Amino acid sequence: MLTVLSHYLDSIRDDLRLDNSSEKEVIQELESHIEEEVKELRESGLSEEEAADTCLTLLGSAKVVARQIYEAHSQGSWTQALLAATPHILFGLLFVLNWWRGIGWLLGMLALILIMAVYGWWRGKPAWLFPWLGYSLLPVVAAALLLLYLPRSWSWVAILFYLPLALWLLYAITVRTIKRDWLYISLMLLPLPTIAGWFIAIEPVNQLPEDWLQRMQDFAPWIGLTFLALGVTVATFIRLRRRWLRVSVLVVSGLITLTMVAYYTEGRISILAFLILMVVMLLVLLSPALVERTLRHSG
Amino acid sequence: MAKKNELIKGSIDSLLLCVIVQQPMYGYQIIKELEKRSQGYFKFKEGTLYPALHRLEKAGLIRGEWQTLPNGRQRRYYHITEKGLNSLVAKRGQWLDFLTAMNLIIQPVSE
Repeated sequence: MLTVLSHYLDSIRDDLRLDNSSEKEVIQELESHIEEEVKELRESGLSEEEAADTCLTLLGSAKVVARQIYEAHSQGSWTQALLAATPHILFGLLFVLNWWRGIGWLLGMLALILIMAVYGWWRGKPAWLFPWLGYSLLPVVAAALLLLYLPRSWSWVAILFYLPLALWLLYAITVRTIKRDWLYISLMLLPLPTIAGWFIAIEPVNQLPEDWLQRMQDFAPWIGLTFLALGVTVATFIRLRRRWLRVSVLVVSGLITLTMVAYYTEGRISILAFLILMVVMLLVLLSPALVERTLRHSG
Repeated sequence: MAKKNELIKGSIDSLLLCVIVQQPMYGYQIIKELEKRSQGYFKFKEGTLYPALHRLEKAGLIRGEWQTLPNGRQRRYYHITEKGLNSLVAKRGQWLDFLTAMNLIIQPVSE
């Protein structure tokens, strides 16, 4: 196949953002179409270059074709939407129904999250996996942070071993996922700004545990509500076809949930902290696009 | 030309189902068949055919199957499904009703 045709297929492949098996099928189908058309054009008397140029003109822009194929494949079913929203809904219910203090509920939920994350990863990383993956990494990072609060002789364990390990795990998963579509990283990190917002509002550092436990108890219904809102966001995300709508839904939900945190905590978050949280939210949700671009350019 | 393309875009699902219902076909063959049966009227960007086929497949109206030819080349043939047949019957009915109504209005009135 001529270089110009291979480049055409490469640029479609770059913008498809589908799972490996679907991508392979789409490219194979287009390749077969191109071979057939070029052969027929050559038989009609055109040179190889002329046949390739005519074929590309007839196919149309690679970007448009890739975008339209993405939109044909991107919409998940209602089952997938529900599956993707479930970890957020469970996390929300944990607080709304006041189960968050029960170790049994917490362990049960952690086990379910880990099982679903491993199952989804093994089943070819469907879109519904990423919210589960996000929650499965949460205890890893949280444990690393909590290790820092252990007696000084133990803190070095966290600093030297656990924290780098947790960050490496996060990085490895991010890089593997981002190669397919940066939006799934945003989907995975979606609860992070909301969790940071509640963390700042509750202020567990340098206070008596009873104080912040009481505060969490007071805010529990509102914490639950923000996570239920994230569940609705994720379900909407899965059902949408267009990328720009998917990006918009994530950003708007970040704005809404952070505003909910600020509103329900009645001034516990200063305007400056709120603005910083907004910037962090935009960075968390949109920076994967830049990482993806950097990774692609670096080869 | 833009208006013609809009018309084709709006009818592409029906056109594809009408062609595939005759016999299972692959992408390039569908394009040629549409061109032949419409006497050259239906010519569109070929790249837009595949998104439409994949959309119909996702909706369960057609089913794609790979077939290996004697020369080793592979082609993806599209077959119409039961759901696709039902949809085609409904679309045909709607289209014929629309055409009848359009003809009643668009034809010059003879006095």
